[in-house]
Amino acid sequence: MAMVYARIRLVAAAIALLVLAAVATPVAAQQPNSVNPNADAVKEQQLLEQFKRIQGLGTIPDTKSYTIEQPEGRQWRQYHEVSLPWIGTIAMLGMIVLLLIFFLVRGMVRIKGGRSGVNIVRFTAFERFVHWMTATCFVLMALTGLNITFGKVALLPLIGPGAFSKWSLAAKYAHNFLSFPFTLGVIVIFCMWLAGNIPNGRDLAWFKQGGGIVGGDDPPAYRFNGGQKVVYWLVVLAGTIVAVSGYLLMFPFYGTTIAGMQLAQMVHGTVAVLFVAAMIAHAYIGTIGMEGAFEAMGEGTVDLNWAKQHHRLWLEEEQGRVGPAELERQPSPRPATPRA
Amino acid sequence: MLIKRAERQARRGTLAGALPTQIDGGLDRRTFLRRSGLAAGSLASLGALTLGSVRKAEAGPPPPAGAQVTIRKSICTHCAVGCTVTAEVANNVWIGQEPSWDSPINRGSHCAKGASVRELVSGERRLKYPMKMANGQWTRVSWDQAIGEIGDKLLAIRDNSGPDSVYLLGSAKMTNEGSYLFRKFGAFWGTNNTDHQARICHSTTVTGVANTWGYGAMTNSFNDIRNSKTVVIMGGNPAEAHPVSLQHILEGQELNRSNLIVIDPRLTRTAAHATEYVRLRPGTDIPVLHGMMWHILQNGWEDKEFIRQRVYGFDDLKKEVEKWTPDEVERVSGVPGEQLKRVAQMFATQKPATLVWCMGQTQHTVGTANVRASCIALLLTGNVGAPGTGANIFRGHDNVQGATDVGLDIVTLPFYYGLTEAAWKHWSRVWEVDYGYLQSRFDSKQIMETSGIPLTRWFDAVLLPKDQVAQKDNVRAMFVQGHASNSIARIPESLKGLAKLDLLVIADPHPTTWASLSVEAGRKDGTYLLPVCTQFESSGSRVASNRSMQWGEQVVKPIFESKDDYQVLYLMAKKLGFADLLFKNIKVEGDRPVPEDILREINRGSWSTGYCGQSPERLKLHMANQKDFDLVTTRATSGPAKGDYYGLPWPCWGSPEVKHPGTPLLYNTNLAVMDGGGCFRARFGVERNGVNLLAEGSYPTDSEIKDGYPEFTYGVLKKLGWDTDLTADELAVIQKIGADKPETVSWSTDLSGGIQRVALKHGCVPYGNAKARMNAFGLPDPIPVHREPIYSPRLDLIAKYPTLPHAKQFRLPNIGFSVQKAAVDKGIAKDFPLIFSSGRLVEYEGGGEETRSNKWLAELQQDMFIEINPADASDRGIKDGGWVWVTGAENSSKAKVKALVTARVGKGVVWMPFHFGGWYGGKDLRANYPQGVDPVVLGESANTITTYGYDPATGMQEPKVTLCQVRAA
Amino acid sequence: MARMKFLCDADRCIECNACVTACKNENEVPWGINRRRVVTINDGLPGERSVSMACMHCTDAPCAAVCPVSCFYTTADAVVLHSKDLCIGCGYCFYACPFGAPQYPRVGNFGSRGKMDKCTYCTGGPEADGSAIEYEKYGANRLAEGKLPLCAEMCSTKSLLAGDGDIIAQIYKDRVAKRGYGSGAWGWQTAYRETIAT
Repeated sequence: MAMVYARIRLVAAAIALLVLAAVATPVAAQQPNSVNPNADAVKEQQLLEQFKRIQGLGTIPDTKSYTIEQPEGRQWRQYHEVSLPWIGTIAMLGMIVLLLIFFLVRGMVRIKGGRSGVNIVRFTAFERFVHWMTATCFVLMALTGLNITFGKVALLPLIGPGAFSKWSLAAKYAHNFLSFPFTLGVIVIFCMWLAGNIPNGRDLAWFKQGGGIVGGDDPPAYRFNGGQKVVYWLVVLAGTIVAVSGYLLMFPFYGTTIAGMQLAQMVHGTVAVLFVAAMIAHAYIGTIGMEGAFEAMGEGTVDLNWAKQHHRLWLEEEQGRVGPAELERQPSPRPATPRA
Repeated sequence: MLIKRAERQARRGTLAGALPTQIDGGLDRRTFLRRSGLAAGSLASLGALTLGSVRKAEAGPPPPAGAQVTIRKSICTHCAVGCTVTAEVANNVWIGQEPSWDSPINRGSHCAKGASVRELVSGERRLKYPMKMANGQWTRVSWDQAIGEIGDKLLAIRDNSGPDSVYLLGSAKMTNEGSYLFRKFGAFWGTNNTDHQARICHSTTVTGVANTWGYGAMTNSFNDIRNSKTVVIMGGNPAEAHPVSLQHILEGQELNRSNLIVIDPRLTRTAAHATEYVRLRPGTDIPVLHGMMWHILQNGWEDKEFIRQRVYGFDDLKKEVEKWTPDEVERVSGVPGEQLKRVAQMFATQKPATLVWCMGQTQHTVGTANVRASCIALLLTGNVGAPGTGANIFRGHDNVQGATDVGLDIVTLPFYYGLTEAAWKHWSRVWEVDYGYLQSRFDSKQIMETSGIPLTRWFDAVLLPKDQVAQKDNVRAMFVQGHASNSIARIPESLKGLAKLDLLVIADPHPTTWASLSVEAGRKDGTYLLPVCTQFESSGSRVASNRSMQWGEQVVKPIFESKDDYQVLYLMAKKLGFADLLFKNIKVEGDRPVPEDILREINRGSWSTGYCGQSPERLKLHMANQKDFDLVTTRATSGPAKGDYYGLPWPCWGSPEVKHPGTPLLYNTNLAVMDGGGCFRARFGVERNGVNLLAEGSYPTDSEIKDGYPEFTYGVLKKLGWDTDLTADELAVIQKIGADKPETVSWSTDLSGGIQRVALKHGCVPYGNAKARMNAFGLPDPIPVHREPIYSPRLDLIAKYPTLPHAKQFRLPNIGFSVQKAAVDKGIAKDFPLIFSSGRLVEYEGGGEETRSNKWLAELQQDMFIEINPADASDRGIKDGGWVWVTGAENSSKAKVKALVTARVGKGVVWMPFHFGGWYGGKDLRANYPQGVDPVVLGESANTITTYGYDPATGMQEPKVTLCQVRAA
Repeated sequence: MARMKFLCDADRCIECNACVTACKNENEVPWGINRRRVVTINDGLPGERSVSMACMHCTDAPCAAVCPVSCFYTTADAVVLHSKDLCIGCGYCFYACPFGAPQYPRVGNFGSRGKMDKCTYCTGGPEADGSAIEYEKYGANRLAEGKLPLCAEMCSTKSLLAGDGDIIAQIYKDRVAKRGYGSGAWGWQTAYRETIAT
């Protein structure tokens, strides 16, 4: 009832105001018979209920100071202190645990028939440079970013506040400045590998067969298989999101309000921890998860048998294009290890 | 490590002791350090982090180790509320401000300005040494050279054009002693062209109110408003102009649940706290007040007994008020009849009621009539001379009341003695100089007894043809000590005046807009800047709005090469050759006259206004024992000053030895005179046209005369048989003064104080006991009548309510009538449809150069703006915060400012703060200031847009109503 | 329990900005840093109210909770302070603060905002009470001298109250009872999770 009354009074005040404002020149025309500014005074409670935040007018140029109450800061705090650490912990630890179990169960995916001793070029030097630049940035930013959320729990007790602050300050700058090469990397990756990453029918089949990793048969794939396409698009999309939300935070109040920045931070944090989790899987499959995979980004070449197994269609394409002999650029550092 | 304040250690633990310890999870500093692993030693190394930075303090506390911290008290220099400033000083550096809890006026509080006064003496933007304009360049000169050159030029002008060609513009920011000395300096130089800010703030109040009941000052006090049941604030915005007064007003309102009525064209910060807000068209105060009185008379709410005993001219008033029916009031002012009736009823019946006003009433061509109408409304309802009532006129500058009283004015010698031969003779006796000498300093005896030129028109006195200026020659030199130029209306005209002046001297802590505009006007030579310190670097007494006199100590010595007002006047007098006579009874230490001695001289001559009892010793006693004074009555209830009212509010009768306690409420018949009681002053004779002008059956408590009586003279004492109470010494003085006519020696000219002492002894007020005048015969409109502003949007009303006809006033013609007529003929209101008004911001004061140079204040108001109603703004496509051009009705004036779109102002009205300067016509004049002393914030001056219009009784300008147009830039 | 709080009685506040300049004066706060500011709600309309706002020294302060380097601490008087030596200028406290209290010396692009600065309740910082280094980094330490923050002590109309929460709540209650109206203890629900029943 009190609220209804308050609303009515507010409306009445607004109407009174309109009347006041509508007084024609000269001021002579109708004025309200009674204006009692004290009785019409705004109430904090009513403003909070109506607008969720309280804003007014100040005289200093800093217009964000005109907001005097924004209780949503509390919600953001809930996110940052409770939700995000949980999301992050579950996603990242969960992923590691899953991979561990998977590794124990499945072990390393071996090259069927062992190494052929013949290598073919899979990634050019430029491609590898871009990949590793982006990856390095990513790892450093992941660590420095995670430090913001988990450092005070995980690291601070170990090294003490002074050292932790020094490290965190450096970490903050590293995080901010590494964002530029990272963003560049994402953009180049997007352009560079777009052609090979357009989803197609093969991908569905690939997924149905578990990518040959869980199932028995190795589904045929072009240069990028379904799983790699997922990683690609994940990098492009998540990379874009963390970059954009990150820049919003780096340039405070350029086109954002405090609410916008809170949202940006929530998006940044959530996407980033999920991104990290996904990249852990990517790193797994690129290293201990699969024999012969790391060389692709390591040296740029892969074993012919590996290519046959995982990217048969791509291999055929490549062979059709330049002829089998040409593919072999360099002797394999690893000797052929034929396997049954 | 270092102790910031002497009592730090002693007080340490007070808080801990007073409050229960430890809340859950709370950490003290040591615990935090321990838990965080930071030992005190390691902090220093952490401070040297390479990334990020820790702010370096510039100056300020804590003091160097071992330095003695002393507390010094002075008075805030930013308004007339009179807040005590408590300064902590170490090694002549003002290191901190503490709340002045003991002051009964501010009880620890300050406004933005008061809380930042410490910055004034750090002085980043202050004038540091004397300078002059030489070939268009600001050049440093020595004091000796500056004084020498200025003096030579003044003497040359005196030789050619006479002393009146030098205009001496003083300041309400001087102490009593300084402003008194400035006026005395004028007298010894030989001119009455000595004016100060009161001209443009409350000159109309002084004239209007004094002509009603005796003295032109606030009748009651800020503290006394706590007793009011109804407070009407009409034409004032104390929330911004006098913030600390709101403490008393709001607390009083809360405790009494009283009515707080604000009548104003703007919904101000004050109005936001009102229980009733009345919006009127600017310039229609008289119709509204008459309209209120119409309701009062219609309903018989007037105080009939009060009127019978203590009021003259009631019937004349009735005739005028009858014309102001609710319909006519609403037609003219826009105020609905019902609302006005309610306000009138509260004012007349929910007593005690007080009327508070400020520049909203005074700064008009009808300013004197406005304040008169206000006084009349108070008289009509019997709301004068008792607690909670009265005309609570909030003065502006910290010593504008005092500077007015000590006669830094064009119409009178100190303390309202006027300019008559008798007045000159009185002061020649006080000064112990020959009357003939003083006369010889003037061009003629006639000009010696003629009012000077008001500061509002100094440039007219420079520019008008010689034959229109009623003195020997035009004004050729302006000697300005502590006055802004941008607070004077019609800046485009003043620019022409600046160009034509032979000499311009600016003695001020800051170069002020005099400097920047003079460069803009094209002056290349003959401009001098003398660095004068603030009152925090000097000492002396100042009078707050409530007439309380407070002694300010020197907080720190003058910074840089600046000197205080006394020193500047001494050096000038010495150069001009009359220092010995000017300082005959005033000790001069080095080049500094001792202010205590000046006050003693004031005490010896100021019988007319009761500045005679406030010796420096009594004032200092009050400052030292502030805690003994009661919050509401302001009377000391214990201590060495017991019985005194705080600051001995004038009139404080008799010599200091009489121990009069001061008069906290003027004209209060409920107290004995020796307890601060009084009655209306018998200033206008004893009868007029057969009607008795003396009070009838009303007298102060314990008066031996139970009726009205005239002012006391030796003759009156003799008639009463009280002359025998005079001592032989007193009688000797009286006989010496009176020569062959000792009977004529009066309470105000008797230098022995005997007549006052005897009158007081018999419970009588020395100035007599008379009626207050509703009909102030002698003024241009003896009963206030409405007159439309010179530039009015209401062409339909100008014919019925025109401004007064031409007249010669204060040596100059006032041609308001033809200006008004020309505006109508030219259709100005069509091209300039918006009513332009101006006013105050809390962060700045006056012309604002000082406060705009204070970085703590300047940060809070960085842009000049104009308030415009949302409807007017949308009509013109103006956005909040966007630049606009404001164009004025005269001189093709224009100003570029930011728009503040707000419903504070009604439709058809725009408003500008008047504190800005340093821009002109859209041009930034920062380069015109000497390097490094330009204020932090510059902006267009409101007075670039203001126009012609002068009050006939005082020469008050009209910055509150004119016309303008606004368009998006 | 000694529990220091601020309470702005908006029905008394006249936007005179004394609190702002008192703060600047006492703590030598540089241009651009506004530890305290006054904001007017419904400016120019009947019912307009001004509120002086600074750090409210919250119960379970969000700034302290979100600080990635845990540079905040709460004193025995419940004043929320921080160490500028530990602060990395990340801006998180600004996101979390319901009152916009944290201030940064620089615009803050590339995260280079400098050390966060905010109202200390005139209680200085972690350095020794009243030391020059404490003053330089944080400003005055009035509490250690048994004095309250200067903003509240100098408030022109006694609108801004500082002191033990129970005491100032009682003052406010009494005022509202006396005068018959009150627009609320601004920020108390948000800062202290409590309101003052009037």
